[in-house]
Amino acid sequence: MRPLYVSRTACITRQSVSVNGKELPVSSGDGRFLAAVYRTLGIDYPKFFKMDNLSKLGFLASELLLREDRPRFVPREDCAVICFNRSASLDADTLYQATIGPGEDYFPSPSLFVYTLPNIVTAEIAIRNKLYGETSFYICEAFSAHQLFTTVSHAFADSSIRSALAGWTEYGNEVCEAFLMQIETFPPPETALPFSVEFLTRIKNKL
Amino acid sequence: MTCTMDELILKLKKEIIDVLNLEDITPEDITDDAPLFGEGLGLDSIDALELIVLMEKNYGIKLKDPSQGRELFRSIRVMADYIQANRTK
Repeated sequence: MRPLYVSRTACITRQSVSVNGKELPVSSGDGRFLAAVYRTLGIDYPKFFKMDNLSKLGFLASELLLREDRPRFVPREDCAVICFNRSASLDADTLYQATIGPGEDYFPSPSLFVYTLPNIVTAEIAIRNKLYGETSFYICEAFSAHQLFTTVSHAFADSSIRSALAGWTEYGNEVCEAFLMQIETFPPPETALPFSVEFLTRIKNKL
Repeated sequence: MTCTMDELILKLKKEIIDVLNLEDITPEDITDDAPLFGEGLGLDSIDALELIVLMEKNYGIKLKDPSQGRELFRSIRVMADYIQANRTK
């Protein structure tokens, strides 16, 4: 197994938004927290507003990680996107279900329906950043640093994968939390840390 | 249900902005005769389906053939004309 390093991290909760441990001030006057983060980051991607909350959350975490890359949006086939959570797409599922009323009030929303799968978040990140490596999404009973570590490590068993955006993206049941890491194989800069179960436990506990 | 064409166009613009989550776009930004798809508002195929639902839910117009949308959704004015002539609610 090749040694893996975490070169960057992004964390989002309703209380705090940070990149590599450095907090970013976000003001959410109207209560639309994810939209406030979007505006704070100065992103111009109208499709964001069509996404469900889980995709918005993962998308913003990926923007926090990658927004200063120059050049950006260079197609890559060696970068995977791997996310995990507990509630799958329950938030979007619930909103979709609410559009299906009884009797004549039966108007299922196509735009909500397309987000009733949690792996759409990995697709949104991959599409935005032209990442053509593996994308996968895992639903767990609870956060497990060991499971996350093992699954992400296995993705690197494919020798064509040299990098991954991976992490925990949970939206639902009043929880809004995400951490996303850029994990790489090449010798890291001084700030990079070994990718490990301990690292994952630490970062999740900080959310 | 009775309203002038201008009132209907304004109502329709507000409904489209709401249902398609067109953030930062106001009714004034949507030209009555500008194309909704392609270079206009940049809507996609899922938006087209959402407009079909809107027509049925808000105006009682059921499009039996989704390809009708291609003609109907050319612009707000075309949509409004069709609604005015065919609405059942």
